[in-house]
Amino acid sequence: MGIITILWEKWTEFKRDFYKITLAAMVAPLMYLIVFGLGIQTTSHGEPYLYYLIPGVVSLTTMNGSFNAIAQNLNVQRLYEKAFDQVMISPTPLWQFILGQILGGTLRGLYAGSIILLLTFPIGTGLIFNGLSLFILFLNGAVFSSLGVVVSFLAKNHADVPRFSNYIIMPMAYMCNTFFSTEKMPHGLREAVGALPLSQTSNMIRSIASGGEYSLSGILILFLYLTVFTGISFWFLYKKKNL
Amino acid sequence: MIELRNLTKKFDNFTAVDSLNLTINTGEFFGLLGPNGAGKTTTIGLLSTLLLPTQGEILFDGEVLSRQRPDLKRKLSVITQEYSMRQDMTMDEIMEYQGRLYFMPKKLIRSRTEELLDFCGLIDYRHRSVRKLSGGMKRKLMVCRALLTEPEILLLDEPTAGMDALSRRQMWNLLRKLNEKNLTILLTTHYMEEAESLCSRVALMNHGKLEEINTPQAFIQNLGAYTVDHFTTDGTVSRFFHQREDAISYLSSLSGQTALRDTTLEDVFLERAGNRLS
Repeated sequence: MGIITILWEKWTEFKRDFYKITLAAMVAPLMYLIVFGLGIQTTSHGEPYLYYLIPGVVSLTTMNGSFNAIAQNLNVQRLYEKAFDQVMISPTPLWQFILGQILGGTLRGLYAGSIILLLTFPIGTGLIFNGLSLFILFLNGAVFSSLGVVVSFLAKNHADVPRFSNYIIMPMAYMCNTFFSTEKMPHGLREAVGALPLSQTSNMIRSIASGGEYSLSGILILFLYLTVFTGISFWFLYKKKNL
Repeated sequence: MIELRNLTKKFDNFTAVDSLNLTINTGEFFGLLGPNGAGKTTTIGLLSTLLLPTQGEILFDGEVLSRQRPDLKRKLSVITQEYSMRQDMTMDEIMEYQGRLYFMPKKLIRSRTEELLDFCGLIDYRHRSVRKLSGGMKRKLMVCRALLTEPEILLLDEPTAGMDALSRRQMWNLLRKLNEKNLTILLTTHYMEEAESLCSRVALMNHGKLEEINTPQAFIQNLGAYTVDHFTTDGTVSRFFHQREDAISYLSSLSGQTALRDTTLEDVFLERAGNRLS
């Protein structure tokens, strides 16, 4: 199965760069937690702001972990190393290659998210992270891995992926229900930002963390994004004339 | 058998390959020659499905090649002009990745890897990452990787570029041996002696079109098997003769430094590059 081959490739990379990957996954989220959660001591909805922040930071960490694991890596393989050529030439079905990338990226995102959960565990927040949270984070990782595949194929040079991160991923990291609620945004912007996948994920993770419910519409929205991005990836690999 | 039928590839308004019709028989060693920008690498790109044709089709044993045909792609291995490998992987990992992409059993991947790396003198460097290899070693590794999957068709795009003379000769011997085992080989090269030495037929391409297909010997015979070089202050002037006597007679009429030699495929190429191919 080609998916296993791609996962093997990702595992090889993970083993080799274990420390780099782990540290890179920790630094930014830890900064957010220290600065906004511990440094600036505020409350939100009558509780320490840190309790509000942790679910958002976990969500954005899975997003970043998944997107970065795929977009830059695949872009380098395609444009610089040309290693992607060998995949195209090989008999591995291209749909399996795409699904392998998405799954590999998702697992990397989950790994990054779980590091944050482990690091915040000693604080004793009492926040609930269960199987449903894991499923939603998995879905979130899959959405951003598939977006990573799309971006890596859209990129025309090495600078395009960081540029996309700056314009799309970074604003999402700050705006999508991570550091503050989208409800505080003006009408119009609130709905637009609220429909983004990270907003949905943060919302559901936060709700579950405080003992609430998940939202079926949120899950459906994530599935919709995943389907669209995966469909575009398939189109690129099967139909694009010049890869 | 490989058949290219009316194969055309356009990039916006530029036609890189123009209505190419070509048949390469099973077990043939076929050379694709032409100046830079002739469309050779684009043709290889189309054959390896990295590029999709604007018009026309490619058939392997009568079946149309596409990205959705893993069964046909299984028959193929490609050595690209550029080093197409992950730089952070070791030689062993590169080979394993390739084997896995072709669904080879693990045991077979290991034994073939040992055999090929040993044959190419790379076995001692198997744990070294690609980034730390010399250009020649990377080329050899690409050959090992291409042969790992025991392909029926081998596409070689400038396979000896960057290799030293000894490695190049070793590569030629290897390719000859593979061809003797009925492997179909399509070679593009800038080294005319390489094409002359290895290929049973060569095609000359220019501006995306096929100019002529023939055996290297026939190309040489048609130009004249004997060459007289006249080294003047303005450069070397070569004239070609079908009869040795005519060449000697011309030679004796010249003053200054001269030489009589056998015509090569490079002469054919240069002659055409100076005339029709330019």
